[in-house]
Amino acid sequence: MSIAKPGSRIAGREIHDARETITERLLVLLSRYREASIAVVAILLVIYFQIGSHGGFLSPQFMSVVLRDTGRLGLIAVAQVMLMITGEIDLSVSGTFSIAPYMMVLMSIAWGAPLWLGATVGIAIGVFVGLINGVVTVRLRVPSLITTVGTLFLLQGIVVSIYNSQPIIAPVEEPFNAIFGESLADPASSALTWRALTAFTPFAWTVIVVAVLGVVLNRTSFGLHTIATGSNLIGAREIGIRTDLIKIYNFMIAGGCAALAGVINTAQFTSADPQAGSPFLTLQAIAAAVIGGTSLIGGSGTVVGALIGAFVVATLNNGLVMVGAQATVSDIYLGIAIVASMILSVQVDRLRTRRRK
Amino acid sequence: MIGEDFAPVKPDAAVVLEMSHISKSFGPITALVDVSIKLRQGEVLALVGDNGAGKSTLIKIVSGFHQPDAGTITVKGKPTRFASPREARAQGIETVYQDLALIGELSVYHNMFLGREYHKRVLGLSLLDNSKMRALAQTHLDTLGIAIPNVNATVDRLSGGQRQCIAVARSIYSSPSILVLDEPLAALGVRESAHVIGLIQNLRRHRQVSVVLIVHNYNQIFEVCDRINFLHAGEIVFDAETSQTSEEELIRIVRSGLGRGAVAGAAAGVGSGPR
Repeated sequence: MSIAKPGSRIAGREIHDARETITERLLVLLSRYREASIAVVAILLVIYFQIGSHGGFLSPQFMSVVLRDTGRLGLIAVAQVMLMITGEIDLSVSGTFSIAPYMMVLMSIAWGAPLWLGATVGIAIGVFVGLINGVVTVRLRVPSLITTVGTLFLLQGIVVSIYNSQPIIAPVEEPFNAIFGESLADPASSALTWRALTAFTPFAWTVIVVAVLGVVLNRTSFGLHTIATGSNLIGAREIGIRTDLIKIYNFMIAGGCAALAGVINTAQFTSADPQAGSPFLTLQAIAAAVIGGTSLIGGSGTVVGALIGAFVVATLNNGLVMVGAQATVSDIYLGIAIVASMILSVQVDRLRTRRRK
Repeated sequence: MIGEDFAPVKPDAAVVLEMSHISKSFGPITALVDVSIKLRQGEVLALVGDNGAGKSTLIKIVSGFHQPDAGTITVKGKPTRFASPREARAQGIETVYQDLALIGELSVYHNMFLGREYHKRVLGLSLLDNSKMRALAQTHLDTLGIAIPNVNATVDRLSGGQRQCIAVARSIYSSPSILVLDEPLAALGVRESAHVIGLIQNLRRHRQVSVVLIVHNYNQIFEVCDRINFLHAGEIVFDAETSQTSEEELIRIVRSGLGRGAVAGAAAGVGSGPR
């Protein structure tokens, strides 16, 4: 900030400063209403694709696809937000996303266990993976970036070696599948039948989880201590917050949510694919969290923002294909969106630290 | 307020905190060697020493942040061992750390109640009672005469002085029996210093709270403290009541390396002491 431009005169500086305060005010507003600003982006994208696709984008059939992807990404992203607020990250979520439903389906096929039981076990596995990630990171002081890359390979290795890397057809059980959702809205049925609505239940699950985690983050001591842990680790410890436990719990939440997302995904597609959770999924979820306004240095983040971020990512992925772009082109836009939101995020963080002085 | 006379601490006042033969090392670095301090009811004890003398380590042992390698801690006659700051706080020991331990992203009132939040039941869930905490924080700050424009503001938007005041206000909110202050005046301007000194004087006047205070400024020691312990290279080398000594004497003693167990190099780093 103190770098003076060569040749700048005092008068010019004053103008420069005045403009800077306007920029600063804008950044302050953005930091305060992160969700609102990303919501504006989301709405603009929807309008653009709605026009570009001649009204096809907002059809129930297409929305079921966008919201299915939003739900899957959003569920992983919101749990990641809690963890990122503590200053940690979990890159193993895509491994958990694969292994949880795989266990569910194997239990069903091998032992005839009902899917709800397998789903419970699968989610418990996800929570357990989170526990391992948390304990190794916090107690053994391995950076979470490394710990979770390790567990990612470990989980991926386990899941592909169980069944020769083959997808397994999942048995269909009602009401299990109806509760967790159909893969697509049936174009033949009208939008308001039960079958058509179940195409949106995966998204509804995510909305429920977002609501719960939103309350946890903003209205409970656990949420307060989560923010404190990420914002000022030593200070939080000094005041008596058990920062290690807070981190471990958030790793467990992240693992549990990734497992739930995997179970829902398998219920939708009635198939457990060991390749379903590619590491790309993790990265997209983190992108969704960051686009939604979560800081990578910890201390701040919003779960609602992450859900909207997931919607933006899903809209870009699907909308660009719909308006006739190559599937690969959407990655270009996604890349730009990530970098742009990171620049914004870093600027807002920098502004905040500068304001501290 | 300067020069105000305080009733001296009674010689038979109970010892509320006694640390005996405390040693602490961090790997190869020895921070404290066989340090013993006594704090009596209502006393304000100054802990003086150079940077690196072990003051902060000592108070972090009192506050439960560090655990001693050897030695015993007795609080109100009971031998105690704090595994964490949480346990020390539960026993009525509050600490204002040098870094203040405030959370920049949280509001003033959340910081005030961090670790001991108020809750209300909503649909069977235990949720934060923000309106209660907000009101209590405001009342508490008003009582202390600390002007914070808005208790909803996040702490990172406040000035250094305001933050220091909030940290001190938080530490005395729960009426602790022992208060530990690590350089509470370090980052303050003249007016803000006077305010914090006023808060300490007020505690001292009522003799309800016993205070351990780390200070660098020798003026301030004689202004607010009853007794001085000088810590050098991990050992207490001088222990006297402020009424029995003077600023000049303290400086002379410290410079000449006198005092119990004085180390040869005691005088070397002292020049940096009074700022």
